[in-house]
Amino acid sequence: MSARDKVKIHKLPTGVPGLDDILGGGFPEYSFNIIAGAPGCGKTTMAHQFVFANATPERPALYFTILGEPALKMLRYQQQYTFFDLSKLNSSFRFINLSEVLENRGLVGILEEITKEVEAANPSIIVVDSFRTVVRHVQENEVQVQAFVQNLGLLLTSWEATTFLIGEYVESELRDNPVFTVADGLIWLYQTVERNSVVRKLQIMKLRGQASVPGMHTFRITDGGLQAFSRTLGLSTRKQRKPDAKRLSMGIPELDEMLGGGIPAGDSLLIAGSSGTGKSLLATQFISAGIRAGQPGIVAVFEERPEEYAARADSFGLDLHTPIKDGHLKVIYLRPLDLSVDETMQEILDAIKAMGAKRLVIDSLAGFEMALAPGFRTDFRESLYRMIFSLTGIGVTILSTVEIEESFTELLFSTYSISFLTDDIIRLRYAEIEGQLRKLLMVVKMRGGPHSTDIRDYEITSKGLVLGERLTGYEHLITGLPSRVQRPVLKKRSTVHSSRRADR
Amino acid sequence: MARSNRLARRDEMISRTTANPEIRELAQRLLTHEATANDPSEVTMLPVMRVSEKLRRALSTLAGSSGFRSLLTRALSLAKVEVPALSAVQIKPDGSLEGLNLLADQHHSAEAGVILIAKLLGLLIVFIGQSLTLKFVRDVWPDFPVADTEPLEKNDHERAR
Repeated sequence: MSARDKVKIHKLPTGVPGLDDILGGGFPEYSFNIIAGAPGCGKTTMAHQFVFANATPERPALYFTILGEPALKMLRYQQQYTFFDLSKLNSSFRFINLSEVLENRGLVGILEEITKEVEAANPSIIVVDSFRTVVRHVQENEVQVQAFVQNLGLLLTSWEATTFLIGEYVESELRDNPVFTVADGLIWLYQTVERNSVVRKLQIMKLRGQASVPGMHTFRITDGGLQAFSRTLGLSTRKQRKPDAKRLSMGIPELDEMLGGGIPAGDSLLIAGSSGTGKSLLATQFISAGIRAGQPGIVAVFEERPEEYAARADSFGLDLHTPIKDGHLKVIYLRPLDLSVDETMQEILDAIKAMGAKRLVIDSLAGFEMALAPGFRTDFRESLYRMIFSLTGIGVTILSTVEIEESFTELLFSTYSISFLTDDIIRLRYAEIEGQLRKLLMVVKMRGGPHSTDIRDYEITSKGLVLGERLTGYEHLITGLPSRVQRPVLKKRSTVHSSRRADR
Repeated sequence: MARSNRLARRDEMISRTTANPEIRELAQRLLTHEATANDPSEVTMLPVMRVSEKLRRALSTLAGSSGFRSLLTRALSLAKVEVPALSAVQIKPDGSLEGLNLLADQHHSAEAGVILIAKLLGLLIVFIGQSLTLKFVRDVWPDFPVADTEPLEKNDHERAR
């Protein structure tokens, strides 16, 4: 069958930011959908968003309320959302209350009344809210319920209308409730309390005729109604690594040399080190170097506010205020404690698109993890993987910092075991050398090619992080407790690139 | 004790809104509008019953008969405080009014009608806001002049100015 012979299914916008991507373009026209979930999880609001986004006087909507939220209460609360358009009420969509029909005439009456209203109004959108209460009301007669569901499904699907049944279901009903078999689409909304945070997620459990994004997607209810965050944000393919990728400067020429000329564009770089080693400073120098090179940047901070971040950069002679004012830099302070990675990613992605940003700093991963709702922390590594994969896929170069506990017996790269997520790793650490606490820098990993194997000391000065020489004459430097080499030192040329070096 | 205080505060708030002279004026205009209407089927009905009946039909579709009935019951209860003679009025199960024509004094009857409709509109404004309430009024009486910005929800501060 050629593409020309196939029926074209139009997709209707959901009116819920992010949900169209998750559904694979929107709700299929004339589909028969169920929005299910526990009370208070946003089912009615989602239906309203769809109605307000699509209903017109020519393509009106009918909204049947039965035993759920009374329509006056619904109007009282729904009009608080920004999508609520008063002018559409009664002209583009109408509420019809059927509670007394159910009381007086039962399911047959409901079906008759819906049929009558649908025939009279010829709507393009039909919502029955709350459908579950109808079924529960008469659940003593299973045959009657099944017949009702079948007939309602047939009526709605054959009416050339996109229809929604809204119901409070529990997942265990999925197996033996006929309504789920009849439906073309099934969206399940979840709301769970984890410690002190509320976590909202949705899942497309079924959608006929088009490919939706599988899995759980977080969503938030804001003044604008529901906002959904796709697990992939539509950024599922990573670019092929180019061996000749442009190299981005870290803002420290000696470090660029150690990296083989800088960070390959589109890489993910991890700066790992313990407290006070200068991770944030290195990140700031990286972002400043980008701005000087005409590459807009974004810094996502979790532990301090943007003004504090910019003020701290001042003390190293790095002016962030001007690029912020000029729109070349955005410092995003993410509201702590109940975020999902997907929300964070959406905010970063929006900023990247708006600014054409090329560099992103996440300072720090520990702060990021703490900002997440507890339920999302368990999936942190997986979420981080999706985020890095997606953002580097659109060519953004990411620098993340991670604080690790200093060990004087081994060299840890990360407490998160996330080094596999990164292309490049720079390790900062303390070492005790001749009665001094010195700072050491080493490039541990460069996926894009050769790099220096030097261990160099560095200082944090008023001009930023200043690299010193390669440390020779010691062994066990990476443990932090080196000792003088007793045998004659064999001077080996630095592997890539350290042009300046001197024995100590 | 706390609950009765809360209820008293709520009643005071509703009473303040429904006693709003602008809402009374709107109710009065609606009754006058209905009094001059020429629908033969309604000619024997009092204007207040016509207004109430038209609102009932519109709001019952939205909120169900029982939803409308509870609103009207509350409105009647509030109106009785100002017009005790309204105690003779009953609300039928379908939400229609009964007994208004039994009010002896015609002047009192008209005033009672204004207050009852004002209370009903005031309740609607409290629950769904002025814009939606006026939209319903316009939908029910398309030829009745009511402006979008008709200031029915003035607070005490605004009214004092």
